[in-house]
Amino acid sequence: MRLAAPTLTRQNLLCAAALGLVALSAPFPGLQSVFHASLVLALAPRAGAPLFGALWAMAAGWILEGSLRLYPHFGGTAWADLTLALLAGWMAGRWPLEGLKGWLARLAALSLLHALLVHGAVRLATTAHPWGWGWFWALLSVPLWGWLAWRLLHAGAGPGRR
Amino acid sequence: MVVRAAKWSWSRAGLQRLALVLLWLGHGTWVLLGPDPARHWTAFLDVLSRPSQAIAARWEGWRAARRDSGRSLAELRAENARLGAELAQVHSQQAQQAPRLAEADEAVRMLGLKQQIPLELKSARVLFATRPATFGGLILDRGQDLGLEPDQGVLVPEGIVGRLWSVGATQSKVLPADAPNASVAVMLMRSRATGVLQGLGSGRALIRYVSNQEVVQPGEAVLTSGLDRVFPRGLLVGYVAEVAKGDLELRLIVNLSAPLDRVNAVLVLPPQPPLEVQPPFVAPETKPQPRKRGAP
Repeated sequence: MRLAAPTLTRQNLLCAAALGLVALSAPFPGLQSVFHASLVLALAPRAGAPLFGALWAMAAGWILEGSLRLYPHFGGTAWADLTLALLAGWMAGRWPLEGLKGWLARLAALSLLHALLVHGAVRLATTAHPWGWGWFWALLSVPLWGWLAWRLLHAGAGPGRR
Repeated sequence: MVVRAAKWSWSRAGLQRLALVLLWLGHGTWVLLGPDPARHWTAFLDVLSRPSQAIAARWEGWRAARRDSGRSLAELRAENARLGAELAQVHSQQAQQAPRLAEADEAVRMLGLKQQIPLELKSARVLFATRPATFGGLILDRGQDLGLEPDQGVLVPEGIVGRLWSVGATQSKVLPADAPNASVAVMLMRSRATGVLQGLGSGRALIRYVSNQEVVQPGEAVLTSGLDRVFPRGLLVGYVAEVAKGDLELRLIVNLSAPLDRVNAVLVLPPQPPLEVQPPFVAPETKPQPRKRGAP
């Protein structure tokens, strides 16, 4: 059973809300990482129409780095987010979702890859840097925000614009 | 199968994909450039210029080694020049100190002569010599201030020099024994034959009034006889150089032993010295006589 994709408006609104939460949760890096990962990996990717999702993911990366105001050269996180959003969108088109478990498993794998790619890109853009524990909280809370994104995006979504 | 050329055009999805690709590549380039974009070009150019840099480094190292070797040669030359200058300075100092050493040596010999002759000898320095001139002699730095008088004998450790000819207030003139107008009473060491020494110049003299019956050999020592009351008996005058028989007397040429041309200091004998002068007599230690038995 192939799940219906959410409407573009709904998805954009959710992404905007998540982006606001990313900006507002700057004082709490662990929570910010969770919002950031959920936006990039769960809310932004869209099969077949990746442009908006890529832009939302990039915006999430820029806002995250801008809120930290520590890097000597911004852009690493945004590029990693863009890459992962495109990858997730391509995966959504290539292997359509069929249930919550597969969704959560995919999110967990993407979260791990996202953490690695973000830190690698930041290292390329700047220098060696502390990883922190945001990636861990994001990975740990995958069931929570994965389930929530599942509910917001796919549960009850009717046949919308593809 | 007929192949028809597809009409090339940009669809909406194609434009989106192109935009995404450009976005991804541009952003990735931005990330890769990092905070200092020039460093990538610098690293790239460094890699490109590495061979030429290696060649240049080897060339510079070769030139530095050559320069160092040249510098070491120059340093060696400079050190050689410095050592040469030091050696010349040492030689100069040695030459400056040579007269003092000679004077000290002569003073030691004078002191030894003074101890051998138990007379009151007075020392004087030779200011300069006029021997090459006619009736020339030696000028001493002491005169009447030292109580000198004419006809006092003058000698050096090697032998007699002559006698005082004239005495001034602070200087005196010595008539050397080889002067033509000088005469010294002498005797031959082996035969004890006496005669009169008359100067011939240039450190040579002639002994007269020696009978041709005497047997004299060249090399025989000639001593003062003391008969002229200028020199005591037994002072060395010189050595016989030539012996020739005349009608009545021997013709004896004597080489004076005193280096008259190189005399710097002399000893002056007292006037009218005794005929015979004995060296200082040291009495042997008297052994205690064993006490005879019964003696008090």
